[in-house]
Amino acid sequence: MSEMWVNMGPQHPMTHGLWNLRVKVDGELVTDAVPELGYLHRGIEKICEYRRYNEVVTLMDRTCYVAGLAWEQLYLMASEQALGVEVPERAEYIRVMCQELQRLASHLMWFAAFVMDVGLMAPFGYGMRDRDVILDLFQSFTGARMTYEYMRVGGVRNDVPVGFTDRCRKVMGWLEQRIKDYEDLCDRSDIFLKRCIDVGVLKAQDCIRNGITGPMLRSAGVARDLRRDRPYSAYPELDFQVAVHDAADVYGRYRVRMEEMRQSIFIVRQTLDHLDRKPGRVIAEKVPRFVGTPSPPPGQESYIVRRGYPKGVGFSAMEEPHGEALAYVVNEGGEQPYRVKFRSPVMVNICAVRDYLVGYRVSDIPAIMGSIDVCVGESDR
Amino acid sequence: MSSPATSPRTAPPGPAEEIKFTLPPPEPTGVASLVVHPLARAGRQFVKSLWRPSTIVYPYRTPFGKATERLEDPKFRQEVDIRSGVPIGVGEIWDNYRGVHALNIQTCISCNLCMFSCPDTCIEMVSVETEGGKSKKCPQIDYGKCSFCGFCSDACPEGCLSMTSRYTLTTNDRSHMVYSPQMMNAVYRTKLPMNPIRLARPENEDNILLDQDLCIGCNACSRDCPTKCITMIEIPKPTAKPGEKLPKRIWKEPMVNDEDCVRCGTCISVCPKECLYWGSHG
Repeated sequence: MSEMWVNMGPQHPMTHGLWNLRVKVDGELVTDAVPELGYLHRGIEKICEYRRYNEVVTLMDRTCYVAGLAWEQLYLMASEQALGVEVPERAEYIRVMCQELQRLASHLMWFAAFVMDVGLMAPFGYGMRDRDVILDLFQSFTGARMTYEYMRVGGVRNDVPVGFTDRCRKVMGWLEQRIKDYEDLCDRSDIFLKRCIDVGVLKAQDCIRNGITGPMLRSAGVARDLRRDRPYSAYPELDFQVAVHDAADVYGRYRVRMEEMRQSIFIVRQTLDHLDRKPGRVIAEKVPRFVGTPSPPPGQESYIVRRGYPKGVGFSAMEEPHGEALAYVVNEGGEQPYRVKFRSPVMVNICAVRDYLVGYRVSDIPAIMGSIDVCVGESDR
Repeated sequence: MSSPATSPRTAPPGPAEEIKFTLPPPEPTGVASLVVHPLARAGRQFVKSLWRPSTIVYPYRTPFGKATERLEDPKFRQEVDIRSGVPIGVGEIWDNYRGVHALNIQTCISCNLCMFSCPDTCIEMVSVETEGGKSKKCPQIDYGKCSFCGFCSDACPEGCLSMTSRYTLTTNDRSHMVYSPQMMNAVYRTKLPMNPIRLARPENEDNILLDQDLCIGCNACSRDCPTKCITMIEIPKPTAKPGEKLPKRIWKEPMVNDEDCVRCGTCISVCPKECLYWGSHG
């Protein structure tokens, strides 16, 4: 039978976003695959150059709509390095708590969509409902459910409200039980296992060759986690384990993410204990006051230069829910960053699609693509 | 069709059974079918809906209180105690939700900080008639552009511009999305909860300082100060030494009254020479 190209996307239930997967099929067999990205390109990196440092935070929420707080901190870590601002300890712990809650929300969202792709209908409702509870937590201290705009240069906007830590602990205890239930639900399902095991295999050396990071790399047996290997924020003082599985297939990725959720709950509890113990400032004292200080008329010498914030370059790397994300901010002394560059893990993971799709059937494609957790908002930016 | 003898796999043991059809009951006619039965059906559904509504609103309630069932996990929200106080229902949201702004025109000092801090440039300062025939500038917000980030209410030094839990903005006309100061003042009068979170200022940088070498005495800071706490004082004109050229300027300098100053930073923003900056007298 002759081969033919099939477009899966840009509007397709498999894509989880707006991108096009072109697959070459020989009957049911996939012989080639090419991703086409760029349908959601909004030019965020360029817009950043026209906004003041704090105002870029509003764009970071729109960059990745399931992990907005992760991208806020990624950008702010780089810009704080470029501006020479130090973050108070309490703000670092609040940020780490946000990261792990965001990882839980992102992985639950992935769980809901992934099991739907694989064929289990009921867990979709459970995953979305549990994510909703975490969004309620976010709303209680940020004021929004998706576009948080919570972090600022030098810390966070406001402290957590009274009684938040107790509420959060209750949610964590409840969620821990739920994750156990979901694992039972999936591991006892023959449909789930048959569609996951030995499907979409990508060995460790292929992962490293393609630059794949995150749960995909850890599912291939490589214990690589930036939270442990290149610790940032308050992670050096926290205790956790890196989730690793050696199956290198769809089932391994599912296992790694479930274990990561459990570790996230563990980390959140440690940060909550710290927040209860040590009160303090949540935003640095010496912050460049871009928020409170209006910009001078165009053509005038910048306020920051005059106040003595020297030129600098900032670089940050963090373990986002999807993988390793990098940010690069250049401060040329102006009010706005001179250049902002991001590295999206999803972009890299999608671009290696040929390596883990060829040789499988068309019906395996939704399961494989669902297991890499696509977020087109951050890959196209 | 093959006989049971030739295909034992499909033949059930024992004698063949007769297939019985259950016919639907004959439809009632007359008054009963037109009036009584529909009423009875509606009544049954109404009584049933008292404890189990047919259309489930998230999370649904009954006339006698909250229902206790949702997906397969009863009382899950009560267990996690996600909400202290009023439960989340249709149209109910948290107090710190970032929705339509409330503006107290009385306390607004026209410092322009909300306009300067807006990343979407959706705020415009317009004239508002106040009591006594005077007018002042107050923010007007275009919600067609607004991203509800809350930078404006963070920047407000008086706490008079704040975001409320009001979110009804649907309209047929795009011009209705532009909220004048009076409309936001009407929102303020509805007494929705306002949570202005003012950013903590640096403790030892709360004064406005002057770089005297750069100042040209242009009066811009004094003119635009919302609280009129800056006065221009005369400074002596130095005598030029031979061969030295005096700078071309007005021989006046701003003096800030720190008791009246609200630290809004307008003077710093309007200064054409960048000679004002934040610092401390100590």
